[in-house]
Amino acid sequence: MLFFSVALAVARRQVYRVFTKLSFFLPSLFPVLFFLAFAGGLTRVGEVPGFDFPAGYEAFQFVWVLLQAVTFGGAFTGFAIAGDFESGFARRLLLAAHRREGIILGYILASLVRVTFTGLLVAVSAYLVGMQVLGGGVDLFGLVGLALLLNFSATLFATGIALRLRTQQASPLIQTPLFLMLFLAPVFVPMPLLEGWIEAVAAVNPLTFLLEAGRSLIIGEPAGVWFAYGVGAALALVLLGWALTGLRRAERSGS
Amino acid sequence: MAGSNGIEVEDLVREFKGGLRAVDGVSLRVCEGEIYGFLGPNGAGKSTTVLMLTTLLPITAGTATVAGFDVARQGPLVRSAIGAALQEAALDPYLTGTEHVRLQAALHGMPRKEGRRRGDELLERVGLVEAAGRKVGGYSGGMKRRLDLALALLHGPEVLFLDEPTTGLDPQSRQALWEEVSRLATDEGVTVFLTTQYLEEADALADRIGIIDDGKIVAEDTPEALKAQIGRPSVEAVPQDPAELESLGDVLGRFGSPVAASSGAVAVRLERGAGELAEVVRALDGAGVGVSSLRLDAPTLDDVFLEKTGRSLEGESEDAAEETPA
Repeated sequence: MLFFSVALAVARRQVYRVFTKLSFFLPSLFPVLFFLAFAGGLTRVGEVPGFDFPAGYEAFQFVWVLLQAVTFGGAFTGFAIAGDFESGFARRLLLAAHRREGIILGYILASLVRVTFTGLLVAVSAYLVGMQVLGGGVDLFGLVGLALLLNFSATLFATGIALRLRTQQASPLIQTPLFLMLFLAPVFVPMPLLEGWIEAVAAVNPLTFLLEAGRSLIIGEPAGVWFAYGVGAALALVLLGWALTGLRRAERSGS
Repeated sequence: MAGSNGIEVEDLVREFKGGLRAVDGVSLRVCEGEIYGFLGPNGAGKSTTVLMLTTLLPITAGTATVAGFDVARQGPLVRSAIGAALQEAALDPYLTGTEHVRLQAALHGMPRKEGRRRGDELLERVGLVEAAGRKVGGYSGGMKRRLDLALALLHGPEVLFLDEPTTGLDPQSRQALWEEVSRLATDEGVTVFLTTQYLEEADALADRIGIIDDGKIVAEDTPEALKAQIGRPSVEAVPQDPAELESLGDVLGRFGSPVAASSGAVAVRLERGAGELAEVVRALDGAGVGVSSLRLDAPTLDDVFLEKTGRSLEGESEDAAEETPA
């Protein structure tokens, strides 16, 4: 019971900060700008020979922007954790929390709330610019599930780094791997159109599986969805260990 | 025995990387409802001890129980039983005082109604009712300290840790905090573990004092008993003619070793106690050194500190206070 009260208290504060402080809130809008820039400015990429995506380029790009939004939602949560340690506020949480794992759950819940808001904003923007969705309710539910699973993993990854470094200097170390993972994937064209080293890297990039599965769901032709969930779940499991060992490190440091 | 709500520490050690022993075999007992003053200069190991006892830092060796719970093995239970206001008040500048109270109540799993009632009561007690709706970023140092204390008390802890709670506070705020700490121990039976580098604070508040230096406890007793160990008072004299300061020093030097004195004065610790005062007066008269004032001072905690460590704490605490932003 105390575990959940700690988690809810941490989550409530984090959500409150995001939605009441402009500097914390603004990054939530970036994915909308990404979507408008990529889907708007690169629409003719969809006319490249071999580019076969029945729902159109907006829907193709929406899935990537959605996954990008949830990934960076996790990164921003990591920045917040690092900031709490740097300012000393984390001591209040560590001192009061009966079960300290509840602190991590709290940050994860806050991250989920944040990306739900951002995801909705991106979805509304996409509908406004005429995105077609060919998948049904179950497909969309599957897409949302994939996005939330990715957010969970990204938050755990960022949490692990933030808890190890406990300073804002953790930010580039959180951001860079996530940025590489996002862009070393079939971002602008489908996987079959990639060539050379980028194709080789994208083929083993875990994000590719989630992205391709997400795109198959939005056009209502699910392919590789269970495998993508498996990859997402495996990532989440490994990164849960990463975050928990980070918490143990932070506890040992006396932060 | 310390009792179930006290503190028992046995051979506590904290070693950092490179073999630095910040705390080196500290043993102490604090009884239920007692105010224990942990006195020492910067870097003596006071805060490291507090971090270990509050489960914020693992123990390298030794044992410690707080409120009857083992610090190393029952961390969650220790945290439920204690409140702590550490050196740097851990506050979020973007939250108001009231929001901090609600967050703290939720972290402790207090029912919402109970948290609000207790929070309102504590905010009133620390004089923050009017400022409660303001963001903490705009609070003064004293207000932050008072809010931190209120938050530490919110869940009704049995043991309260205060790590240099009055550093950087103005005299009025310091006095108010002292009164509140005394009231907590006397009226509510809260055990208080107070670290300080202010001798006056330890003297005024603590039932017992432990003096720590270089990670080791060098003396421990009631303030009166510690001062009685020194036994010998000091005498301070101001010459009528400032040019006679050196001669005055020569005469007083026959009666004991020099100690810190006010500007334009000379002071010595009387080797054979207060009974020597008459001889001091005769010696000054004999030497033809006139004095405008002659004062006999009882031993202070700084004398105790000087005796035990070979260093004075007075200057160090003043320096630290000057360095600490309000």
